[in-house]
Amino acid sequence: MNLTKILFSLVGSTLLLIALPASAGTVVVVSSGNGITELDASVISRIYLGKSSSFPNGSSAVPIDQTEGSAPRNEFAEKVLGKSESQLKAYWSKLIFTGKGTPPKAVGDSSEVKKLIADNPNMIGYIDESAVDEAVNVVFRF
Amino acid sequence: MLKIKLPLVSLALMSASPGLFAEELVVNGFMSVGAGVLSNSEVSVKGYDDDISFSADTVVGVQLSKQVNDSTSATTQLVSRGGEDYDTEAAWAYVAYSPDDVTTLRIGRLRTPFFYYSDFLEVGYAYNWIRPPEEVYSLDTFSSFNGIDASRQFLIGTAELFTQVYVGRLLEDFSVNGTAYEFSLQNLAGVVFGLTLGDFGYRASVHTGDGYTDLELGGTRDLDQVYGLATASGVGEKFALDGKTSHFYELAATWDNGDVSAIAEVTALEHETAMLLDEMSSLFSVAKRFDSTTVHLSYASVRSLKESDATVRNIQSMFERHDSSWILGARYDYDSSAAFKFEVQKIEEKIQAGSTSGEDGMLYSVALDLVF
Repeated sequence: MNLTKILFSLVGSTLLLIALPASAGTVVVVSSGNGITELDASVISRIYLGKSSSFPNGSSAVPIDQTEGSAPRNEFAEKVLGKSESQLKAYWSKLIFTGKGTPPKAVGDSSEVKKLIADNPNMIGYIDESAVDEAVNVVFRF
Repeated sequence: MLKIKLPLVSLALMSASPGLFAEELVVNGFMSVGAGVLSNSEVSVKGYDDDISFSADTVVGVQLSKQVNDSTSATTQLVSRGGEDYDTEAAWAYVAYSPDDVTTLRIGRLRTPFFYYSDFLEVGYAYNWIRPPEEVYSLDTFSSFNGIDASRQFLIGTAELFTQVYVGRLLEDFSVNGTAYEFSLQNLAGVVFGLTLGDFGYRASVHTGDGYTDLELGGTRDLDQVYGLATASGVGEKFALDGKTSHFYELAATWDNGDVSAIAEVTALEHETAMLLDEMSSLFSVAKRFDSTTVHLSYASVRSLKESDATVRNIQSMFERHDSSWILGARYDYDSSAAFKFEVQKIEEKIQAGSTSGEDGMLYSVALDLVF
């Protein structure tokens, strides 16, 4: 597990170093003004499922989704949250209709999410790796 | 039935001074349209008979909520049920105050948290069945109460703990064999514990309340006559209901790995009065997801328990029951906000109204569940 992680990040950083055209991976990002450089999948999952509303360092965390039907959104739901879109809908309907929570706001595609994240240090989002620039920190890859 | 005085007040509160606060009014809704038919009319399930009917499982709910400031929000959920001639009722109408992320105080009209599925009882989209098995989910007449609750979540390592305490009172008509009775539960109180540990979930709850009805000696309704008979047999005091305490206990365990899920839930209802029979209920259900289709199989049963006194037992036999059901069903998520469901339910009434020659029957039902 750890080894794969290390290999993964090695491969990832090598790719970045030699500045190959970005692959079609999806990454989780926060504003570079936020200071966080790495997050666990479980922390991200908790924030996106409304179970936690802060980053491990205590600052408040606001998750941002992409519009329903986008490829990164489906990939994020399946790989990070472990749920299909309809399972996620069922999960949120339990919380919405009991007043226990509301799903993350859905905001356009990778470039729109990136723009929003860049300007808001308390937000977290997932975008296509090709949309990454110096205004955001990649905190998780999948 | 409790009508919509309360929500009108909350609506007025929520629509006052539009634009005063940055947060918008959030509107959510759910709808279920169902149809079903019984193989024979000797058994009874939720208002169905041997002609196809469309109302029993049809329900529409609209929820309005507004964050008033950082810590306070107002929510109302209006529900119209086909089984109750589409009368609109407030299932929820409350103001919530959250001093922090994990603590919430609510006051107003709330769901009575008797069961695992209580909070989202009518949001068919949130579960696999067309309706939660009636053998266990039989207290839905009392699904909302007026009062106050406090809840808190704890995160201990990877374990998520949830606790809720509530007090209030409940006033609702209920009907037996088509005749209405007034009923209220006073000093209603309860406590709920929930624990989620990875794919496992547990819930335990205890509830108590003192019952009051409009039963009258010499009345002509069925239960008045039972009360009369009990009084004539010298056990009237045991059958008196006013001020007698009832307890309800519930335990549930769930497992869900995303593709396979299971739930077991057992309940016990214990009444001080002999007029209402103690009951033990249980349900077991497993479901497997194949892409957009989920297939599920459930077994549920309820058994009433009589008291030991011979005279009391004799009278209680008149409304003793022992029912069970097997439910085989499928849910097809044809869109991310809509599910089509089909169910076959085999009902066995082993003891009905004290007679062991109960009837068997099949209920075939379909439903379309939406959230919006």
